[in-house]
Amino acid sequence: MRRIKITFRVLVFLLIGGVLHYALPQRDIVRVVNTYQERQDLNDWTRIFWARPDDQSATLINRDVQFIQTVKQRTMLFGFIRRDSTEVMVYRNEDTGWSWPFYFKFDTANLQTEADDLLSTAEEPKWAVMTHYGWRNEYFSAFPNAIAIRPVENPNVTIIPWFNIAFFIFLMVAILFIRAMWRQFRERSVDPLLDAAGHQIDEVQAGVSARKGRISRWLGSWRAKDKR
Amino acid sequence: MGFIRLVIFGFIGLTVVYFSVSIYSRSVRKERLENEFDANHPDGGASGGRDAFVSEGLQSYDASIRPRLIGLIYVVPTVVIGTIILVINAN
Repeated sequence: MRRIKITFRVLVFLLIGGVLHYALPQRDIVRVVNTYQERQDLNDWTRIFWARPDDQSATLINRDVQFIQTVKQRTMLFGFIRRDSTEVMVYRNEDTGWSWPFYFKFDTANLQTEADDLLSTAEEPKWAVMTHYGWRNEYFSAFPNAIAIRPVENPNVTIIPWFNIAFFIFLMVAILFIRAMWRQFRERSVDPLLDAAGHQIDEVQAGVSARKGRISRWLGSWRAKDKR
Repeated sequence: MGFIRLVIFGFIGLTVVYFSVSIYSRSVRKERLENEFDANHPDGGASGGRDAFVSEGLQSYDASIRPRLIGLIYVVPTVVIGTIILVINAN
């Protein structure tokens, strides 16, 4: 039972962590190599890795998606530790509109233009910070969605994830608040009810045993008296 | 349509939060009033005095600024979403 409980908790934790890792913004140091646009089929389960820019796009089985090809600085441990090597990374560039995840991104065309403006070669690199969410997975053809790009002079720039810090503080506060609310609700509403119910059960049981006592006494009056 | 859906479901969600927080805040105040009365009247006080004290305290709570501040539950997310829209789509 204990092991099931721990397994269940770990699974819930991993699920929530996965959703947050997918949806929260991350930043990469990139050099834009090229941009392109390609028709994408959207009618299987990998649909969840594509955005829903507007309502009609929800029913389309394929549409054109813009992409940004980059060379990015390798990182590890959720991007906190930078490594000296580079790798290639391809971002999709889609509006998220008014739906999940709630980036309210409507400036896809502008972002594509900014990325085009930053095209550079390995000999004369122009580095930029790419804000994005999502995962790159070659087997499912999943791409992270680019949110914003801004040029930087030096690829060793320090990035502080202010939004994520604020988000996790808010999450902690919200969890503690919900816990406090739940405790108050139990203390003030559920426990008194349970107490009252328990009290009633006690009374009923006391009544039953009293009646039993009376019946057995009555029965006892029919039993033969102690003949001595 | 996406916008309308967000507004409707956002409003429903925030209303749930609003009522939960309102009930919680009032309940905490009521508990504090009860404890205050019990601390001041270790012998139990006059009959009906406790209820009168608590309902009087809750009336002044209802008239105070605190329940109105809970209305910020509707305002803050709207402002945050507006800020996100501006920041994300700024050129």
